[in-house]
Amino acid sequence: MIPIENFLILSAILFAIGFYGVLARRSAILILMAVELMLAGVAINFIAFATYLDADAFSGLVFALFVITVAAAEVGLALGVVLRLFRERRTANVDEANSLKW
Amino acid sequence: MGMEQAWVLPAIPASLFVLIALFNGLMPRRGDFLAILGMLTVVALVFVIMVDFTQSFEGGLFSPGTANAYAFDWINIGEGFFFIEFSTYVDAITMVMLPVVTIVALMVLVYSTGYMHGEPRYGWYFAVLSLFVAAMLTLVISGNLIQLYLAWEGVGLASYLLIGFYWERQSAAEAAKKAFITTRVGDVGLLIGIILLWRATGTFDIQEIIAAATTGQIGETYLTVAMIFLFGGAIGKSAQFPLHVWLPDAMEGPTPVSALIHAATMVVAGVYLVARFSPVYAEVLIARDVILYIGLITAFMAATQGLVANDIKRVLAYSTVSQLGFMFVALGVGAVGAAMFHLFTHAFFKALLFLGSGSVIHATHHQEVEGLGGLRHKMPITTVTFIIGSLALAGIPIFAGFWSKDEILHYVSDDNAFVYVALAATALLTAIYTTRLVLLTFFGEPKDHHAYDHAHESGPAMAIPLLILAVLATVAGFFVFDQVGEALGFAGGIGYLVYIDHPHEFTTVDWAFAGTAAGTSLIGLIIGWAYWHGDAERARRARLWAPDMHAFLVNRWYMDNMYQAIINRVILGLAGAVAWFDKKIVNETGVDGGAQTVGYFGYRLKFLQTGKIPNYALGMAVGIVALTVVAISG
Repeated sequence: MIPIENFLILSAILFAIGFYGVLARRSAILILMAVELMLAGVAINFIAFATYLDADAFSGLVFALFVITVAAAEVGLALGVVLRLFRERRTANVDEANSLKW
Repeated sequence: MGMEQAWVLPAIPASLFVLIALFNGLMPRRGDFLAILGMLTVVALVFVIMVDFTQSFEGGLFSPGTANAYAFDWINIGEGFFFIEFSTYVDAITMVMLPVVTIVALMVLVYSTGYMHGEPRYGWYFAVLSLFVAAMLTLVISGNLIQLYLAWEGVGLASYLLIGFYWERQSAAEAAKKAFITTRVGDVGLLIGIILLWRATGTFDIQEIIAAATTGQIGETYLTVAMIFLFGGAIGKSAQFPLHVWLPDAMEGPTPVSALIHAATMVVAGVYLVARFSPVYAEVLIARDVILYIGLITAFMAATQGLVANDIKRVLAYSTVSQLGFMFVALGVGAVGAAMFHLFTHAFFKALLFLGSGSVIHATHHQEVEGLGGLRHKMPITTVTFIIGSLALAGIPIFAGFWSKDEILHYVSDDNAFVYVALAATALLTAIYTTRLVLLTFFGEPKDHHAYDHAHESGPAMAIPLLILAVLATVAGFFVFDQVGEALGFAGGIGYLVYIDHPHEFTTVDWAFAGTAAGTSLIGLIIGWAYWHGDAERARRARLWAPDMHAFLVNRWYMDNMYQAIINRVILGLAGAVAWFDKKIVNETGVDGGAQTVGYFGYRLKFLQTGKIPNYALGMAVGIVALTVVAISG
């Protein structure tokens, strides 16, 4: 068997890349893609633990399915918001959506 | 109906107050007859109670002929720890006060129908007079100190309302305020005394406190302090030095009010209080000496001021203060009987004098004696009754004042030679200023012919009370004789009625002593006649000879100026300091400062909200990392 640490490191790397992307990207759509990466990392983490710790208890696998479902719904909503923002501001640049300030 | 139902006595005027105050617009004659009928009922009931009293009374302040009746408990905290009830207590002192209050009140009420005719707020006047009588009656029958204090404040309220009856006049409003505040200063002392006594004995009941004090259950220093504070209330209410300044100004009220409240009844509340506690004062002689000397100072001071006052009512006001001083001197040497007797006689002749002066004022619309004179031709009844009252005040034999003043002087001479001489000198002054008043008002040439032409004798509503009071001023003094007392059903004269340890034998009057007292009064009369008869030439020369002394007396020994200076500098200064504290520290630093601090922090923090999403994302990230660290390490 492949040691579990490999999967965990993989999921950590994915999460970290996604995390960096959320913080450092300017385009709204790229931020959403980074969020997807974070979710993927989290899902791999759950599946690894589910498979390796107890093969009969597959709640981790079920949770990974939930994650995918929720990710899909959330991206639908988020893209709706980004579209709206684009129509108002003619830009998807997140830095320029700063009117709710002091 | 007996002593147990004594609570009915104040209940009648109290309910009449409510009725007349609320509904006088609907009543015929605005309810004055209702007040008078109520008062007549009360007088009748007083006599009924007196009959009941004489049947069981055995003499003295500790006799069993007293009735202690509880109507209801009011506050009861901790099973008797703090217990206030409504209780009545009728004894010899009460029996002296009750006829005084009720008879004079009845006379004043009848008189007022004539005097106050046509005045605004006529119905309210009778309502407040009824309230006053109710409060005063509650005061004299109350068996516990809290009820007494409530009634004490009640008479003060009625006095305030009546002094300020003509409140459109600024001076009347000011006088009412001055009266209430000055007596309030004394009332603080009274309250402190009440609380001190409660702390020592656990009860407010007067007889229980007296029993505890006389059996030595209260420490002597503590008791002395408590009794001096108690006397403080008497100083305020009975206008003794240094709180006497309100009584001359109280003359701004209608004259019948001055007769009732500021001559016969309310101002003697202090005398009543001290007399009630006289067994206790006999235990703490230091406190009694305080009473003695304050009474003496007051008596002398007021008599000197009465010599130069111009307004009739002012002279009578100073005279009242002076005579109250006499009563306190008597209490100060332990002569309770003499003090109560002087209270009894003084009420009648002073009320008579005030009502007589009201008659003069009503007829001439003048109050300054400088503008009067020769009125005996125009107002015979008033003149005769006023002279009778003056003879009583001056202490001429036969009339009531002689007997009571003689008794006081007798007791004082047994005790203290200096006090006796000073008091005799004050009696001399009394005779002098009384003569001056009579001569300037009723004799001599009229100085203001307009007033003189207007003068007319008063109607029956005013004349009849004058006559009745004149009779009383003549015969009330005979109560000193035991034969008179026995004829009325008592064990003897006043000496057998009010005493602490043993009755005073009044039947054997010391004729040599009485002769001296009568002689002093006659000398005063002669001096007064010498200076003020005719056109008062000698008096004018005397005034020119000592103008500073005259100014000193006219300005009331400059005590009002002193009080005003104290108020301006001390009280208003203190008030300014407190106002500064409130404005600068509480308001600006505390309230505004707190708001400003919050605002400042808010201003600094608001720049965190940049509106940029990456900033918010960073915030979230930092928060998550921090929480994770805390979770792992914790």
